[in-house]
Parts: sequence; C-alpha cells; structure tokens
Amino acid sequence: MNINIASYCRLTNHKLEVNDIDIQIQKTEASSLNDIYRHLNLSYPKFFKMDNLSKAGFLASELLLKNIIIDKETPKKDMAIVLMNRSASLDNDRTYQTTIQYENNFFPSPSVFVYTLSNIVNGEIAIRNKIMGESSFYISENFSPEKIYSAVMNTFSDPNINQVICGWVDYEFNECDVLLLLIRKENQEKIPFNVNNIYHLYT
Amino acid sequence: MEALILELKKEIIEVLNLEELTPEDINEDAPLFVEGLGLDSIDALELIVLMEKNYGIKLNNAAEGRDIFKSVRIMAEYIAKNRTK
Repeated sequence: MNINIASYCRLTNHKLEVNDIDIQIQKTEASSLNDIYRHLNLSYPKFFKMDNLSKAGFLASELLLKNIIIDKETPKKDMAIVLMNRSASLDNDRTYQTTIQYENNFFPSPSVFVYTLSNIVNGEIAIRNKIMGESSFYISENFSPEKIYSAVMNTFSDPNINQVICGWVDYEFNECDVLLLLIRKENQEKIPFNVNNIYHLYT
Repeated sequence: MEALILELKKEIIEVLNLEELTPEDINEDAPLFVEGLGLDSIDALELIVLMEKNYGIKLNNAAEGRDIFKSVRIMAEYIAKNRTK
C-alpha cells in the first residue's frame, strides 16, 4: 500500500494553485477570500459567518476536493483532518478583543467568540464534507513539513483511516498562508507523501 | 414603523453577516429562525446583543427572545415600545 499526495492546494494572498494549475481570480473586494468564494460559485451562506482562518481553510478544502470523486453527503469514517499553524486563532481573537475592550462599549460578540479556537476550521471542513474520522490541530512556531508528516503518519496508524486532509492553515494580519494536501492510502504509486514533497509544494 | 423595519433589516444583515441578502430579500413577516432566514442559536445571541447595543434593550431571559424574534416586524414593534436609545 502506498501513501500518496492525491491532491493539493496552495493559497496565499498572491497565489492560488491547485494540483499544478494556477488559478487567477480578479480581486474586487477587500477580502480576496470572498472573491474566491464567489469565483467558485459556492452556495454555502455560512461561509460569510466564518472567521478568516476558517474561510481560508474552507476554501482550500473546496479546491482540494474539487476534482476528487467524493460524495459530500456520505459520512466518511475513514477520513481524518490534521492541520497546523503558527498563529492559532489570534487573528479572530483580536477581533473579539475589540468587542470587549472598553467598559462603556462592552458588547461581546457571540458569533465572533465561537471562532476563538483554531480547530474550528477543522470542524467547518468536517461539517461540509461529513468527515467523521480523527480531527486534530497543532500549533508550531514555523511551517514544518516534518511535523505535518509525523502527525499524519501517526493518524494513519489507526487502521480505519485511509485518507487525511492535512497541512498548514495560517491567517494573521491579513496574510493568508495555506497548504492543504489530501493524503490517501492507494494501491498505485503516485506522488509519494514525504517531507520533501510537502516542502516542495509549500515553497 | 416601516423606517424602523428597514433599519432593522440592514442591521441584521450586517451583524449576522448575511452578505448575499439585501433588505428587500427579507420578508418582515417571515419567521427568522428555522424557516425564513434560517438563523441559528448563535444568531439569536447576536440579536440579543444588537437589541442592547443599538436600542438599549436588555433581555434578561434568553427565552424572551423566542417571542420577540419571531419576525422582523414583531422585533421592530418590540423595539418601538421598549427602546431607551
């Protein structure tokens, strides 16, 4: 059995690449994430309620799975999610802080508060695709292919897991930095899942 | 009342991030939850914050919201009677 990179998506402020194909999107709004959502013709109004980190991870997962035969409505117990970033949910935490900063204007926002955890992005991806396997989110000071590789291989030690959405999902100070990979156990040998290939796709 | 209903629709769109809707898309007599706009429990909490922040109305019991948030019109009527700002 081979462990392959079945699909990947690289999303930054300046680059959108899915499986070696550059996607050009005309920027019309302050948030390019909203532009990507509209470009994809998605009909998922909850997207606009998400924080930037979840929006970035959600969009990358949509692109990652776009050309993969995957039934979003079928529960997937053999699929896991393993994500990592540097800034956790600090981008949204700061937004929340603005709602509680001043005693005379103290209106904590419930809808902002629910995104003050970085692993909420896992939940958004899991809900959208009915992914029922293990879900984990790690914080690392820097992008680390070694840590991603290790966490994914550890996840595959569960014999029930055959595919993993993994990667780096970071968003802070309007800087989006995402690399998502779909890793699958497959009979054929394709792009092998290893540290070098993770690094290569990120850079 | 119609001006308040329009104002409320705009505020609801803004605080609940209903980006793909315009005030004209919201039927002021339609249920806000489950049917109609299909809002959820977090949206309900956000509406409670909106009532206090924009109109000075503090709901002490979240269950009160069930009756007040039945539709935009009912919400507007409640605000008109109870607003302090």
